[in-house]
Amino acid sequence: MRRSPAFEIFRYAAIALALALTLLPILWMVSMAFKPIPEWSATGADLTWIPRAPTLDNFRFVFGESTSDLIVALERTAWRPILASLLSAVFGTAIAMVCGTAAAYGLSRFGSGKNLPLALIQLRLFPPMAVMIPVMIMWAFLGLIDTWWGLALIYGIVTLPFAFWLMKTFFDEMPREIEEAALVEGCSRFRVFMKITLPMMRAPLASSALLVFILNWSDYLIALLLTTKNWVTIPVYMASLSSSMTGQLYGAKAALGLLAAIPPVILGIAIQKHLVRGLTFGALKQ
Amino acid sequence: MTTIRLENLVKHFGDFTALKTMDLEIRDGEFMALLGPSGCGKSTTMNMIAGMEDPSGGRILFDGRDMNGVPMGKRGVGFVFQNYAIFTHMTVRQNLAYGPKMRGMRRSEIDRRVKNIADFLQLTPLLDQKSAKLSVNILQRLAIGRSAIVEPAIFLLDEPLSNVDAAFRAVMRTELKHLQKQFEQTMVYVTHDQLEAMTMADRIAVMDHGVLQQVGTPLEVYNNPANIFVAKFIGAPGMNLIAGELAETDRGLAVDLGTWGVSPPLSDDLAAAARAAGSRAVQYGFRPEEATLGPEGQGLRARVTFVERIGARTIVHVESGQTAKIVAGNDVACSIGDVVSIVPAPQAVRLFDAASTAAIRGA
Repeated sequence: MRRSPAFEIFRYAAIALALALTLLPILWMVSMAFKPIPEWSATGADLTWIPRAPTLDNFRFVFGESTSDLIVALERTAWRPILASLLSAVFGTAIAMVCGTAAAYGLSRFGSGKNLPLALIQLRLFPPMAVMIPVMIMWAFLGLIDTWWGLALIYGIVTLPFAFWLMKTFFDEMPREIEEAALVEGCSRFRVFMKITLPMMRAPLASSALLVFILNWSDYLIALLLTTKNWVTIPVYMASLSSSMTGQLYGAKAALGLLAAIPPVILGIAIQKHLVRGLTFGALKQ
Repeated sequence: MTTIRLENLVKHFGDFTALKTMDLEIRDGEFMALLGPSGCGKSTTMNMIAGMEDPSGGRILFDGRDMNGVPMGKRGVGFVFQNYAIFTHMTVRQNLAYGPKMRGMRRSEIDRRVKNIADFLQLTPLLDQKSAKLSVNILQRLAIGRSAIVEPAIFLLDEPLSNVDAAFRAVMRTELKHLQKQFEQTMVYVTHDQLEAMTMADRIAVMDHGVLQQVGTPLEVYNNPANIFVAKFIGAPGMNLIAGELAETDRGLAVDLGTWGVSPPLSDDLAAAARAAGSRAVQYGFRPEEATLGPEGQGLRARVTFVERIGARTIVHVESGQTAKIVAGNDVACSIGDVVSIVPAPQAVRLFDAASTAAIRGA
């Protein structure tokens, strides 16, 4: 199809605008992460896109090395929050994916637990605050406050509906004949699930897991309420990066933000093949 | 190598009756086609034979053994699905080896069988390819191979050729028949394509709306359809049926077809049967291939409404209140608007009771 040049110009302008809106804030964060204090604390006229004196000081700072410029004593370094975030997000994602996939398969294939979908979505119907305060009390009672496993458990619970709904749609789309073909060959139900269904579901599993992981990884509210000291996560830790002397430590925040973006990006690239391929189930043309 | 017996088989889905009391015996080593339009219950019947669906009533017997409650993996059936159901995350070889592996065959035996079946179905060069990338034709071939490799006593095929292209379908028809000759399984083949049923099957079971209409060899159902449905469904185009009334003429019993005129006198057999049946309102049937176009004056009168020239033959559509089709040679000289006379071959005429739709047959 041939379009008029005016339309093409408009089209590319729109794309450029969308890209700018998405990418410029991220670029600004990247730039800030490498700026020394005078540059990120500078006001107005002095701001530049490219750091004039690029430095790794911000990174050194969050990992606890004292730097000449920043005379702020950190209560703790970024190591522990990174570990907390990784542990809680990874295990939370595992809980949500395992339970969500199993429940979705049961409902999709056998119709077991017909009220489950609604019961699960109910978790997300209330304002998070309304749910989280009672959870906080329960967690305190169970001794799960300020532990990574307590956090992983609640992450698993609140992201379970996403895992469940996504996987249910995918299971519904997967033709039953594939499983029946294996059953006819004398394969047991469980074995069919493990050897046929799950391997064919690799792409949906990967993309659902990525979404759930990002949700868990970027949570702030739950971690704020359920952790106090030992197992605060990156977002909570990041909020604490300020001082009465200097105000918000933008440089350090940018450095940490940059680091926090790495795991989702790596995961995204790792499963990109599955994401773009989408769900075709190769052979099945109805 | 098993006899399948269906006894009073019934299947309901909620309020919907998919199959009404079906009785059918599929003989040892027979190629039986279940033929009918979509929704006629043929796939449901097949799924119950395989054990994917439980009957609502009645029994399925394999060699006299009641299959009720026997899980599908233990029935010893092979099943080929319309949509192939290939395990796309595996290679061609892994797909073929799946059944034998599940049955715990030895490595050497599996290799031997994979090699044989791959040779037979010309899959050898593709053995180590990922099956996700194969064409639909190859996928269906693979699906057939995957089921055939364990040499099941019963081989069930659910419209296996409806998604493949026409040229390949012709090839596969021959190959499937060949396959059955080699392994001598009892084969049940579900299809809505009468050409597939006619060319491959030993016997055809014609079904409609959950009711078995007729069982017989391809020629039986073609020549002597049991009722109006079968008459119309079998044959391309189907049998011509013109409503009329029995009428005595001075040359014997005939059928008064209204605007078409009066039919030639019926054969003695048919006339006797029609008299015995006692009903006056009938459908007068004859195959489009078994009638000739004559000059005006003899036979049934009708006007040509359309002429389809398809190369070897010409299909002439005629109308006189009701429509009919005549298959003529490719050089037939007629054009739209002509008035023609149609003379059905006397031995090709069939009568059906207009009320019950059943065939009225001579002795």
